[in-house]
Amino acid sequence: MPAAGPPIFSVAEINAIVRELIEGEFSDIAITGETSNVRVHSSGHVYFRLKDAGAQLAAVCFRSDARMIDFDLEDGIQVVARGRLTVYEAQGSYQLVVRTIEPAGRGDLERQYRLLVAKLQAEGLFDEARKRPLPRYPRRVAVVTSPTGAAIRDILSTLERRFPCVDVIFVPVRVQGDLAPGEIVRALDTLSSRGNIDAIIVGRGGGSIEDLWAFNDEEVARAIHRCAVPVVSAVGHESDVTIADLVADRRAATPTMAAEIVVPDRRDVQRHVDALARSLATRIRDGLQSRRRRVAECLGSYALGQVAGRVERAMQTVDFAITRLLRAETSRAHTARARIDATLARLDGLDPRQVLRRGYTVCTDAESGCVVRAAADAVASRDVHLTFSDGSVAAEVSGTVQRREASR
Amino acid sequence: MKQDPSESLSFEEAMTRLEKIVEELETGTQSLEVALARFEEGVALGKVCRTLLEKADLRVRTLMETPDGELTEGGPSDER
Repeated sequence: MPAAGPPIFSVAEINAIVRELIEGEFSDIAITGETSNVRVHSSGHVYFRLKDAGAQLAAVCFRSDARMIDFDLEDGIQVVARGRLTVYEAQGSYQLVVRTIEPAGRGDLERQYRLLVAKLQAEGLFDEARKRPLPRYPRRVAVVTSPTGAAIRDILSTLERRFPCVDVIFVPVRVQGDLAPGEIVRALDTLSSRGNIDAIIVGRGGGSIEDLWAFNDEEVARAIHRCAVPVVSAVGHESDVTIADLVADRRAATPTMAAEIVVPDRRDVQRHVDALARSLATRIRDGLQSRRRRVAECLGSYALGQVAGRVERAMQTVDFAITRLLRAETSRAHTARARIDATLARLDGLDPRQVLRRGYTVCTDAESGCVVRAAADAVASRDVHLTFSDGSVAAEVSGTVQRREASR
Repeated sequence: MKQDPSESLSFEEAMTRLEKIVEELETGTQSLEVALARFEEGVALGKVCRTLLEKADLRVRTLMETPDGELTEGGPSDER
């Protein structure tokens, strides 16, 4: 018989109970420690260990969460990992399943960031109203960035490609680490006091929040604010807005975009120049045309027209007079001729030969020589003369009188 | 103030002057002689702008730190 004592569990039972206790108690915890033994499995899951002076804890971050890690997770980093504890019953071990992980102190940084944003905002450093426009065609562009990063290469090649008519003044500075803010501030102040610079690009390529921290520095913000030259910030991280971005006159998401903002595209400018040249030609042509028109208008002006009109009217009067004279003359001549013609025609009508020409015949008595005027006088067997227009013939009346009915 | 649109003009100067000339000609208030002179100048400026756009090379100079902590201009850098 077993002696009275503690209850006896099977291994499976105790592991199940521990699992329930641990998982129930630590479903959402944050643990700080130093990373070690970081391994990224081909599945995308990240395995590592969290440790401090005398203790270690296994941790895993599954792929979907590991994708969201926004800094270089490597050995020896002090981090804050948040997630839940799970027990692996088969091994009797437990581990931290990490949902989010960030470098230790980031919480402090974020608090610091929020406080500084609020402070500078209250001072008006972010006011849109004080943001200065960039010149359309800058002559000198200064670039404040690291001499070794991709940023300076991207900026120079973009300037070269788009608008090579600019002089670039490059100020190499550190863009991360404790010395970075001071160098950036000094570069900006130097450029500001130099004059004859049209725009400044200040920035760096992408990185973690810690990497970008120099651009959240208060002194950097103030140097941008007091800079006499418009500043374009180019801190290569689209999701994080740095304080430098908020103060700058323009914000670019990447160094390449900063260069694109600062200079125009030469093809656009080329088109503009061509349009201006065309406009120039049009203007001068229009100008000449309008002058020509004005000359024409002057020549046809009212004043000149008055004189011309009088001359014209005088000439018309003369013309009219001449016309009337001519007409009177011709009509008189015409009338005279018409009268003569009419008289002659009447005379013509009076010529008995005219009548004969129309087919009439004059009948005369052969004995008496008198004109036979009536049918009754033309007695049978009487000799008569018939006179035609061209001569006469002797004839004898043979018929009897056929009296014509009196027609009324 | 007649300007000789020579090569010493910067792009911005040439462009500003060209735009001003076009603007002036648009108002059409100047004498014919002036208008024609402006026109000629404008045509020349247009050529200057085109030449600058086509032929210009990006000039890069680097400000270096002197031992006493001042930033001064170094020579033209040929890093590209």
